[in-house]
Amino acid sequence: MTATDWLDLTQSWIDGVMFGTTYALIGIGFTLIFGVMHKINLAYAAASIGAAYLSLLVIELVPTPLVYLFSAFAGGLLGALIYFVCFRFIPIKSPLATLMSTVGMLLVIEELMSHLTQGMPQNYPAMLTDIGLEIGDLYIRGDLMFVFALGAIAMVLLNLLLKRTRLGLATRAVAQQPVAAQLCGMGIDKTNASTFIIAGFLGGTAGAMVGAAIGVLSPLVAMPITVKGLVVTVIGGLGSIPGAIIAGLLVGGFENIFQYWRGVTERDIYVMLLLFVFLVFRPNGLFAPPGGRD
Amino acid sequence: MDFYFGLAQVIGIHTLLGFSAWCVLQTGQVSMLQGGFFAIGAYSAGMLTTMWQWPILPALLVGGLLAGIVAVIVGFPALRVKGLMLVVATMAFAEVVRLGFFNLTWQVSSPDGMIGPDGSLGFGGIRYFPSNGWSTLEVCVFIWILVAVVFLVLGWLDRSRAGIIWRAVGEDELAAQSVGINLTTAKVSAFGVGGVIAGLAGGVFAHYATHIEHSNFNILLATFAIAYPIIGGLASLWGVLLAAAFVQGFLIEGLRFLGDWRSLLFGALIVVVMLVRPDGVLRRREPKAGARHA
Amino acid sequence: MAFTIRHTATALTAATLALCGSAIAAEKTLKIYGFGAKSGVVGIFGQQSEAAMQAAANIINKNGGVTLGDGSKAQLAIEYLDDRCNAEEGINALRRIASLNDSVVAVGPTCSNVAEPAFGILQKKAGDSSDSGIQFPLYTDVAAKGGLASISEWSFRNVPNEANMYKSLFEWIKVARPELKTFWGGVEKDFAHSNFTYKVIEKNAAANNLQVLGASEWLLNDINFSNQVREMKRAKADVVAISAHPFTTCGVLKEMARQNVRPKMIIGLTSSSSMETLTGCGAQAQGLTIPTAFAPVTDAAKEAAAAIQKINPKYNMDLHNAAAYENIFTLKALIEKQKIMGRPDTLTEDREKMRQGLAAMQQTEGLLGKVGRTNDREAVKPFLFVQAKGNDWAVLHTPAQ
Repeated sequence: MTATDWLDLTQSWIDGVMFGTTYALIGIGFTLIFGVMHKINLAYAAASIGAAYLSLLVIELVPTPLVYLFSAFAGGLLGALIYFVCFRFIPIKSPLATLMSTVGMLLVIEELMSHLTQGMPQNYPAMLTDIGLEIGDLYIRGDLMFVFALGAIAMVLLNLLLKRTRLGLATRAVAQQPVAAQLCGMGIDKTNASTFIIAGFLGGTAGAMVGAAIGVLSPLVAMPITVKGLVVTVIGGLGSIPGAIIAGLLVGGFENIFQYWRGVTERDIYVMLLLFVFLVFRPNGLFAPPGGRD
Repeated sequence: MDFYFGLAQVIGIHTLLGFSAWCVLQTGQVSMLQGGFFAIGAYSAGMLTTMWQWPILPALLVGGLLAGIVAVIVGFPALRVKGLMLVVATMAFAEVVRLGFFNLTWQVSSPDGMIGPDGSLGFGGIRYFPSNGWSTLEVCVFIWILVAVVFLVLGWLDRSRAGIIWRAVGEDELAAQSVGINLTTAKVSAFGVGGVIAGLAGGVFAHYATHIEHSNFNILLATFAIAYPIIGGLASLWGVLLAAAFVQGFLIEGLRFLGDWRSLLFGALIVVVMLVRPDGVLRRREPKAGARHA
Repeated sequence: MAFTIRHTATALTAATLALCGSAIAAEKTLKIYGFGAKSGVVGIFGQQSEAAMQAAANIINKNGGVTLGDGSKAQLAIEYLDDRCNAEEGINALRRIASLNDSVVAVGPTCSNVAEPAFGILQKKAGDSSDSGIQFPLYTDVAAKGGLASISEWSFRNVPNEANMYKSLFEWIKVARPELKTFWGGVEKDFAHSNFTYKVIEKNAAANNLQVLGASEWLLNDINFSNQVREMKRAKADVVAISAHPFTTCGVLKEMARQNVRPKMIIGLTSSSSMETLTGCGAQAQGLTIPTAFAPVTDAAKEAAAAIQKINPKYNMDLHNAAAYENIFTLKALIEKQKIMGRPDTLTEDREKMRQGLAAMQQTEGLLGKVGRTNDREAVKPFLFVQAKGNDWAVLHTPAQ
């Protein structure tokens, strides 16, 4: 391995890890919902991209940071919508039904995105595009640093929300022992709805970040982000937020390394093999979720 | 009339796909791998009839068998994971299969030039049916004979001890184990049978379409596969048929007059069906208290 | 009361009969069908094709319509089915069209991955009674993956021949830009069209004094191009060619802008010379050079561009739907030449006559000039090179054909 090769490898890793922030955010959303409801919301990544699409409405009106904020709010709204349509009224002992209804929702959201933009890729603004950090021959993209920073802030805020507020307390209580939580007077439906809204907020941010990192939005992006998000959730440990964060960064980094090493046609095979390695040796993921049944 | 026979062919293929998912779902495993087995059957049967001039039925059976063998091999590690992790793991493996076919290039020369799978360009020229003068009606009848045979076999399995064991494992693994049921045999056998049926369906599909490529076998196909038994109701094989006819016949072809609203309605209707009938359209009839089961 | 009711009934009956009578006396309609992607990610293609076909039909109808084999005149009607770029739905759509008793020919499909199966279910050799494939002529407007029309004698295409276009492009580059010496490619590997065309691009680059230093690869819904563009940057090639569709083309162009990769010339894939690329990344796409089979440079082309705006001001004429537009005029001429009767009882003969007509064509009228035909049912379309300038594609050079 020459010096250039090492440089390339390091650069690939750095780019990948920074991009992995978006995977981490999506993974957190999946894991949050799974941790609280023990059900999976397959429409989550599509809703996140959908929120970014909704933020296109205000692109001409407000400066870029507010566009991202709008996307986060739109994500929260979509989260509430998905909760009411796909989860609220389906009995708890029909997990397959919620799986299918979220699949239906995923199809609707994807189709709406195509329909309203006639499938054409939409320009999405990024911050700090002309800035970059140069460490020797390594180059760290300014806009990815922004994505990373924003992701980190979102995670810190989430942590504060979960650990320091009543809502966060209720969310964690319902996740660990739903029956006991109800006995203590916490409204399950209200808590679940708020979880979806919080996850949606996060998702909207993630969608905006994906758009900013690529530079264009397209409905094509929804499916691969869903798959990567799920992989990240499983590797991180179902229900574990720190797990999702670390797994997201890892998957982002390794994905780029695999691509550098074996090319783009085999890259995803290796990402999946990474998943299988985890499933075989650490089936509960990087961090087993705190307490609780199942 | 030709159009209706063609549509019946499509419904038949999707019914078989649904049957394959039904087997696995009986044991409580949600497998996103049926699309992968479908692909294995498609490529093998297609290659046998096109490159080595095999007759159709042996080619289909070999395709099914190969898919079944892979299914059994995959069934063993699948034992280690449950629930959402199994969904993600099978999704990941299905992607690996798809990527495998994306990279598969194996061509032989023929009077018409080189034929066989050509990597990302796909595999065309699978013209067994038209070249041998099969009419649309004849192919339709052929497919539905296969469907009927599989239906009868699965119906017999369902009523036999094997079916009871599968359903027991699906209802409550711990209880099943405690009465001495071997979980491994039950789950792996379900995977295997499901794999064979999916492989058969895939082989038929390849000959129906005359050209297959990796993008035919994506996650959406796997989602359709599990959608049929979930929408139709796991209790009944007729439900699978109904669901396949509903989705392929009504939602996709019947709603054509709606123009581009068709795609939007598709996802929305799935959501609605799940809200109205979370256990599937044809529900399991709850036994009356005290009634004896034959 | 009864008197009034009876009178009303008689009046109504008379009126209805009069209307029916006038309907019978009104003109006949001949339908031309189309099928392609009208919804989904590539929905704009099918929508614009349908609009182009309708625009052409409107012009023909205004000038009296088409003359059928028995001397009577008929108005052209267009009906376009949506296949969502999905092979199974495409096959269903084709079967549906073929089973109707008023369809003699269809234009389409949009996607190459639908075209290949659709052509595959057609009868391979016309007149081969042992082949139960569908006997229905297809005249494709958009699906452009190389060599597909040779699959069946019932499949015909009016799509640009990319081998010719890129050959001409690189020959012109050799002459007009002799200072360009090195080449780096970029290819979307998992889409049949871009993958296939890249091989053509690379071959022609190498054959015209450009040293091929290598190529970067990515997949059609990839989102991270940092590795690929870094390789590109390191190669410092004079010419970069991107064989990909608008989404990833934009992704790569934006990454190139970020990493400050500025080759002296960037070449794109023919199908990216449309509005999509300019909406997605107009700023980064400036100067992108693409060979295309349509630009509003001739009177016919300008008329076509105006005609489609009348159908819907949001639609444009580009190389994809220009072919659909041309096809309607070609088919009108063939209907008259082959004396198509357009009746349910003449269905099989009409379709065979249509096929013979399509097969016998040596030349058709294109919007940029005459279009040649090849022995394997493909088209040799006049083309020119365009460059992204501002919000539109400007003509860079019209090569000798």
